[in-house]
Amino acid sequence: MSSTVEGALEKAATTVRKVRPTWPVVLLALAGVILLLALLRVITGADDVASSGTVRAAIRAALPIGLAGLGGLWAERSGVVNIGLEGMMIMGTFGAGWAGYQWGMWAGVAFALLFGALAGGVHAIATVGFGVDHIVSGVAINVIALGAAQYLAGLAFTGHPGGGPTQSPQVTPMSTFDVPGVADAAHSIAEKNWFFVSDLAGIVNGLTSRLTVLTLIGVLLFVLTWWVLWRTTFGLRVRSVGESPAAAESLGVSVYRYKYIAVIISGALAGLAGAYLVQDSTVYREGQTGGRGYIGLAAMIFGNWRPGGLAAGSGLFGYTDALRLRSGGESVHALLLLLAVLLVVFGLALFRKNRRQALVSAGAAVLLVVLFLVTDEIAGDFTGMTPYLTTLLVLALFSQRLRMPKADGQVYRKGSAG
Amino acid sequence: MSEPDLIAVRLTDIGKRFPGVIANDQVNVTVRRGTVHAVVGENGAGKSTLMKILYGVQKPDSGTIEVDGQEMSFHSPSDAIAAGIGMVFQHFMLADNLTVLENVVLGAEKLYGSGDRARTRIRELSSAYGFDVDPDRLVEDLGVGDRQRVEILKVLYRGARTIILDEPTAVLVPQEVDELFENLRGLKAEGLTVLFISHKLDEVLAVADDVTVIRRGRTVTTVDPKHTTARQLAELMVGSELPSPSTETSTVTDVVQLSVRDLSLTDPLGGRDLLTDVSFDIHRGEVLGIAGVEGNGQAELVEAIMGMRKATGTVALGDVDISAWSTARRREAGVGYIPEDRHRHGLLLDAPLWENRMLGHQTQEPNRTGPFVDRRGARNDTDRIVAAYDVRTPSIDTTARALSGGNQQKLIVGREMSGNPVLLIAAHPTRGVDVGAQAAIWDHIKTARREGLAVLLISADLDELIGLSDSIQVMLRGRLVGSVDPQTVTPEQLGSAMTGAGVPA
Repeated sequence: MSSTVEGALEKAATTVRKVRPTWPVVLLALAGVILLLALLRVITGADDVASSGTVRAAIRAALPIGLAGLGGLWAERSGVVNIGLEGMMIMGTFGAGWAGYQWGMWAGVAFALLFGALAGGVHAIATVGFGVDHIVSGVAINVIALGAAQYLAGLAFTGHPGGGPTQSPQVTPMSTFDVPGVADAAHSIAEKNWFFVSDLAGIVNGLTSRLTVLTLIGVLLFVLTWWVLWRTTFGLRVRSVGESPAAAESLGVSVYRYKYIAVIISGALAGLAGAYLVQDSTVYREGQTGGRGYIGLAAMIFGNWRPGGLAAGSGLFGYTDALRLRSGGESVHALLLLLAVLLVVFGLALFRKNRRQALVSAGAAVLLVVLFLVTDEIAGDFTGMTPYLTTLLVLALFSQRLRMPKADGQVYRKGSAG
Repeated sequence: MSEPDLIAVRLTDIGKRFPGVIANDQVNVTVRRGTVHAVVGENGAGKSTLMKILYGVQKPDSGTIEVDGQEMSFHSPSDAIAAGIGMVFQHFMLADNLTVLENVVLGAEKLYGSGDRARTRIRELSSAYGFDVDPDRLVEDLGVGDRQRVEILKVLYRGARTIILDEPTAVLVPQEVDELFENLRGLKAEGLTVLFISHKLDEVLAVADDVTVIRRGRTVTTVDPKHTTARQLAELMVGSELPSPSTETSTVTDVVQLSVRDLSLTDPLGGRDLLTDVSFDIHRGEVLGIAGVEGNGQAELVEAIMGMRKATGTVALGDVDISAWSTARRREAGVGYIPEDRHRHGLLLDAPLWENRMLGHQTQEPNRTGPFVDRRGARNDTDRIVAAYDVRTPSIDTTARALSGGNQQKLIVGREMSGNPVLLIAAHPTRGVDVGAQAAIWDHIKTARREGLAVLLISADLDELIGLSDSIQVMLRGRLVGSVDPQTVTPEQLGSAMTGAGVPA
């Protein structure tokens, strides 16, 4: 039996064509996406689909989700499911608000990291130290963090100018800067309205102007996470305890230690995501996280537990969210067409492998085109759903073979090796 | 390269108790450097415990460990590794989603880092011992034999001079076993010492330089395999004369109990058909053996008859067509089933024995009263099975995982025989089971056969197949390609028939 299963797996592995994300492939894909957007702009006249403002808004929307997801990635790579990201993020927003209004945003960031890490530490003690079910502990942390933040905010902010039980006094945000040379040049090209070139320039401008150091750090953390987890011995050990803790222990790796470290880092990253929200709105507010911790977790899962996939997922979410915020109805309406094209491409790619799925996506594409033609704008009630719906749809279609860390979510007890 | 009479490892008077069990009691083993030393014994005789003690996983209650003449005290595997001892566990300790390289360097990154130097070192080791393993492949994509080589590489990479292999052949097919033995001889030639645990005596005799026999936690003796036969070894292991699988007189009646007609099964993954037009009858009191190299459709045949896979064709139990029945209904109709992989299909490893006794028979007496589980009935009946089938366990509240493989299997056999089955499907009923339990299981099958049970027997053990069966069908690539007479056929002839080299008349 097992030999036939293995044979089948081997067969499946060889038939699935693997496209390695090398630089040429990534750049080509990016160029393709920009070309599509440029075409879309010309065809539909929705100017905001590739404007620098949209890109900036996209980053603002994407980064908190991405950072929370990155926190989830650290925890789950070490084998601990972290549904408590939301709570850790709440702790981060409180820490950033509390320290931020008194000593400035950088202190806010430091305390957000600290508070997030503390919440992460609690999760680690519960799940790793005491073997509590990961979901139970994570949900408990979400509930406790919400209550704790409300209570502490009442104590800390009431009576201060601009502060109250649900809101902190103003936090002075970090100053922004433009990348010298690049941002201005891109801006002037973007003004020219040249097909493709101006679209590209608009995106470049959005990526290089009015940045904060925090944004840069956030983006660099993705690269750093990839490098640490996949290129260092420390990362190998973290991943090994998430894949096969028994094997790791039999080789003298301290399973508990690496799980503790990873979950605490996870909390700190979620805290940082909270700090980013505070920096963005210059204030701590109750309910500020708005479920971003969960969305981050979902983006991480659809991103196949990899930083690149997570970045793509949260970027997509941020982009559609930005479209919705800027010229909602019109841009989202234009997006319908893009989605239809993507579905057709996907359907063609799948046609030989899975006919039914291909037909379903073709049918959905036709439906979208019809919708695009008979309407001029999407009603405001529906645009709010766009980011969720698009991200869900695209990621669900493109992430067909998810592979989570093998021992993810399982409680490991020391001495189980052998 | 090394003096053959130097002592690599000496274990003296090792004792180890667990709650309710004495695993080791005054065990003495002396291993010469540069040899392959086999430790044999029944399942549960204490071989694995002994090796875990030597590898520092468990601490002995008494006794001493000497490595290269120096007395050692191991607190963890790291201490054992530092002393040059490495262990390959029976169940591989590999992370599937990591590459070979990552699995090998894990925990030993200080030696050669985790990059190109490590890769070079692994290539060196791999070619020095003829392993031929690519360091950058995912372990997930490797076959069982290669995985085992990765395990051995892990040990070699850490500079081990003494390697413990816990039942290394249990998971391998015959050809892989040969390759492993070739690897072991290579290790020996390089002056390494191999400690080899097994209960497959032919293999032990083929590869070992010394054999130490352990029975019920004590060393019986150490013998020279050149002057010992498998039968003598087996008797030393069991401590008494051995039974053989052969059945006495024929008890075959002319009442057909199971009739399979044109059973076909396509591969859901689109490969070659798994079963093609399989037809046969089994009469009451008959044991029908299916011979075939593993992976030729036997597992699928069993699962089709059990209703676990949807196949075309008809399956009739007695006069009743059961083709459309669910697995549960088939079981209730009196089909007993000994699955080939007891961990995947036969047992809930973390459930107590009495719950395992209900498994698959939860709708039948004595396990239920109306819609409820009859705890008392099930527990009493488990006690009966434990006594009647000699399941060695501290209590029926012990989890199945805590039992040795042979005792787990005896529990399953006991359970399947308890529902008064009319048909028993036995897939590798004695796989991974020691000789004592094997004999007991054979006896139970023979007794039931005498009472009119029809048995479908699948086994890779050709002696068992020939000894127990009243008739044998050979299966090749999902087809029944011919039958042989177990009265006259030899294992060699049967073996060549299984590979398609022609069926003897």
